[in-house]
Amino acid sequence: MSERTPRPTRQPTRRGRAVRWGVPIAVTALVAGAIGAGPVIAAVQGDPALPERTAEQLLADALRAAETGPRPMSGTLLQTASFGLPGLPQAAGPGGSTSPAALLAGSHELKVWYGGENKVRLALAGRMSETDLIVGGDQAWLWESADNTATRIKGDLSPEAHAAQAPKALPTATTPQQLAQEVLERAEEGTAIGVTANEKVAGRDAYQLTLAPKDASSLVKEVKVALDGETFVPLRVQVYAKSAAEPAFEVGFTSVAFTPPAPENFTFTPPPGATVKEQSLTEIGRELGADPQQRRERGEELKGDVKTVGEGWTTVAVLPFSVEDLTAESAGGDGSESESAAATAEALLESATPISGPWGSGKVIRTKLVSVLLTDDGRLLVGAVTPEKLAEAAGRK
Amino acid sequence: MPGDTRLLAGSREGRDAGPRGAAGLGESPVPPARERTTEGAPEAIVTRGLTKRFRGGQVAVDGLDLAVPRGSVFGFLGPNGSGKTTTIRMLLGLVTPTEGTWEMLGRPMPGAIPAVLPRVGALVEGPAFYPYLSGEANLRRYDAADPAADPRTASRRIGLALERVGLTAAARKRYRAYSLGMRQRLAIAAALLGPRELLVLDEPTNGLDPQGTREVRALVKEIAADGTTVFVSSHLLAEVEQMCTHVGVMRTGRLVAQGPIEEFRRLSTGEAVMIRVETPDTDVAAAVLTGLGLAGVRTGDGEAVAELGALAPERVTAELVTAGAAVRGLAVQRPSLEDVFVRLTGEGFDVDG
Amino acid sequence: MSTVERVRPAAEDARTEGSASGAAPEPAPVSAGASGTEPGAAVSAGRAPGAVRSWLRLFGSEAGLTFRRPRNIAMLAVLAVIPVVIGVVMRLFAEPISAEAQAEGGGGIFTQITGNGLFLTFAALSVLVQLLLPVAVAVVAGDAVAGEAGGGTLRYLLTAPAGRTRLLAVKYGNAVVFGLAAVSLIAVSALVTGLVLFPAGPITLLSGTTIPFAEGLLRIGLVVLYVSAGMAALAAVALALSTLTEVAIGAIAATVVTVIVVQVIGVIPQLSWLQPYLLTHWWNGFDGVLRDPIATAEMGRGLLVFAAYTAISGSVAWARFTGKDITS
Repeated sequence: MSERTPRPTRQPTRRGRAVRWGVPIAVTALVAGAIGAGPVIAAVQGDPALPERTAEQLLADALRAAETGPRPMSGTLLQTASFGLPGLPQAAGPGGSTSPAALLAGSHELKVWYGGENKVRLALAGRMSETDLIVGGDQAWLWESADNTATRIKGDLSPEAHAAQAPKALPTATTPQQLAQEVLERAEEGTAIGVTANEKVAGRDAYQLTLAPKDASSLVKEVKVALDGETFVPLRVQVYAKSAAEPAFEVGFTSVAFTPPAPENFTFTPPPGATVKEQSLTEIGRELGADPQQRRERGEELKGDVKTVGEGWTTVAVLPFSVEDLTAESAGGDGSESESAAATAEALLESATPISGPWGSGKVIRTKLVSVLLTDDGRLLVGAVTPEKLAEAAGRK
Repeated sequence: MPGDTRLLAGSREGRDAGPRGAAGLGESPVPPARERTTEGAPEAIVTRGLTKRFRGGQVAVDGLDLAVPRGSVFGFLGPNGSGKTTTIRMLLGLVTPTEGTWEMLGRPMPGAIPAVLPRVGALVEGPAFYPYLSGEANLRRYDAADPAADPRTASRRIGLALERVGLTAAARKRYRAYSLGMRQRLAIAAALLGPRELLVLDEPTNGLDPQGTREVRALVKEIAADGTTVFVSSHLLAEVEQMCTHVGVMRTGRLVAQGPIEEFRRLSTGEAVMIRVETPDTDVAAAVLTGLGLAGVRTGDGEAVAELGALAPERVTAELVTAGAAVRGLAVQRPSLEDVFVRLTGEGFDVDG
Repeated sequence: MSTVERVRPAAEDARTEGSASGAAPEPAPVSAGASGTEPGAAVSAGRAPGAVRSWLRLFGSEAGLTFRRPRNIAMLAVLAVIPVVIGVVMRLFAEPISAEAQAEGGGGIFTQITGNGLFLTFAALSVLVQLLLPVAVAVVAGDAVAGEAGGGTLRYLLTAPAGRTRLLAVKYGNAVVFGLAAVSLIAVSALVTGLVLFPAGPITLLSGTTIPFAEGLLRIGLVVLYVSAGMAALAAVALALSTLTEVAIGAIAATVVTVIVVQVIGVIPQLSWLQPYLLTHWWNGFDGVLRDPIATAEMGRGLLVFAAYTAISGSVAWARFTGKDITS
């Protein structure tokens, strides 16, 4: 403004006001920029950081690194699932978010400390609560602060046994290492493999393997695995469905450090006043919620009856099953958890669409990644394929 | 006095140039004011084309060219709603003008607010204080807000200000318990917290009883006698007439006239002085007045009226007695300032309040 | 110069600087502001009190007004009493409540109060930070500008002249200090109650690790600072709303309603992706102090969110207040 000008100025207010409001606008833009620019800056900076590698080189390096075992590290894993389950009721109470069963939907953060063989700590933080799995040497503890309960886990704690058990106990909270290995095993002729060297995950330069199924009937568009450029540890796994631009499932580090974590992380002494229990892994799994329990029981029942049709990306699992079993089992339990499980089952069935063909008729449930076909003759077909492919598989008795 | 020409110019402009605003807001130059500013700022307040248009298009103040000489008691006169308070708010930097510039104490505003306002005491639209604080604590609060006020002398200055408005006894009483008059006086005390070169008082006698009004007038005169410029707004002509050395007249957002009050008085002497004779013998009296050569002789119910002109009233009395008219009363009616202002503003003033 | 000489001699002390300047219409050190109250510091620096002292004086006046105001004292009293109530209730009815709380799966923190008095502090804060503490801060910060405008005192403060930027900064600082005082009061009240009613000793963290009592006190200090930072962000929001109105209760109500609405949004599962951007979501982040190791990354993110809210709201408040016509 021109206070010195003797002449009256025109519109001094409006100009002054515009300048003044420029400040909050600039601040807001700055904040928005800081939120949005992170990935952008990472992408721009990431370009020249790593030497080019072919898929074979990369896979070899990664497998070699996997053979020698991962380096000590710590970090925060973020898992986001958007399977597109129809109308899944929210089964989370105030403390429900720390229950591993809650990992099925939404996004969750898991802290990981890895100090070498037999030294693992996983922490799932909730509001004013925390669930910890601490494996240190020959001891393993499950600590649930909400119940003030420490559970000593009995049984074989060798890494192999643990790795075999863990996916069952914590079905979705697996590390990228395990998931990547699964994916790598499938890399056969049915897959188009690509490699880029300009990814940035958790602030680290990374290679990204892109695995895309060639079979058109697969619901999976592609699976992307980001491998750390230095250690070849998988930093992120993303599964993209054909129907969506955002990953249907993603697990990856939001922060990671390849330095040995403090040894205190792998020791645990039950605090005074806590309830101390001793249980085997199976027992713990049973306690974690109705869903894993049912799944496990059913799994055990059906183990002998499962058949697979097809191979690779379009494998379809066929199990004997009936709609009545599902609802009856769900309603058979007691407590709110089985109620919500029943509600889930009902909601799922309601969303199912009838389908019929030369093989018979049934109901099909389709999510972004998985299709399920319940045939009227008592079979359950599951696969990451289109319902048509399921129907085709149903025809091959 | 420099304001001489301006009174007439202003009044003429105000009267015959209704669409002055349309002729160009902010283009009405005030050369005398600008010259004086550069010479040494004898003006305490100068505004040039000061305009406030509120959202919705309502023009509260329209192209105001105000010049308040230092050391004057400037009466800012106008009916309620004529833009006086908006002008004062603009002068004090509370409201941003839509157009125009202004200077206070020789400094361009609003840039010089931090330098100028500590030397300006203000009473804007009635008193406003914290009801749960005592009178003294309230003054301390406002004193703390002034970055130029010295905290070491705060108690002394607050004590003096309270003493000056006669509130020393009530200093520790909560403001909530103050009467309307006490509140008004406390507001004046707040305006007197420091050594001031300019006092801006918006309707200082509003809500006061006659006694309080007299006290405020006396106080204003006392302050002015110290050399402080006082800019006092009022809708009461009588008040302005009794306190002020200069007058500015507002009408619907425009300044229609300003100048020394003597100018207005002189203007009013241009009007005819009337003589009114109370008598049962109206015909005789009329004959005498006509015989004396007076113009505009009229008779009414028990009275005869004529323009006195330059004739001495005592001559009229003598002639009437000689003629044998029974004179019950005789009055010389000089035109009042009010007549002048009514003519300027086209409206009457609330003479008694 | 004759006019100047008529100015009474009293005006010669300390502040004649401007009146003598009549000889030249010297331009003041002017900022670009239309109502340019900003350069106060530059001008007043040469005066007797000094810029820092005058800021402190106004701040002291502001704080005195806030902490002596009966309404605010009552709010602080309520905040201080609630930890005592929680403590007494836990002491008398500990078993049934913790059993019930455990059934809901959310009683973790409460069950630990009976075992260790220090946990009453965390429990009390986790309860109060949801609504009562924000309400108290909203009352003070929402009232800051709107209250003065509504009472008409704002025009006298500004003609003093307090300076708009200076007044706003002091008002904000005062609201932050009030928030800090309220949080500290809750912590101290809960600490005293907890130590009187329950055993004290080493503290079990959420991660199951045990730390010594003294370190527990230190972590309470961290919690107080973190929660105060969250309240400071809320105070900035309330202050921005306060500059939009002349009705204090309107600004206060708007702030409280905003807090409640945002909290409701925060628990709607379909909007869970919004959570990291919500102010209220991060208030509870102080539980990171109770983890081992301290969840510095999460709490750091919380502080960044607080800073972002403070910066945006603060600049909106500034833009609005410095450009506002004071017509009350």
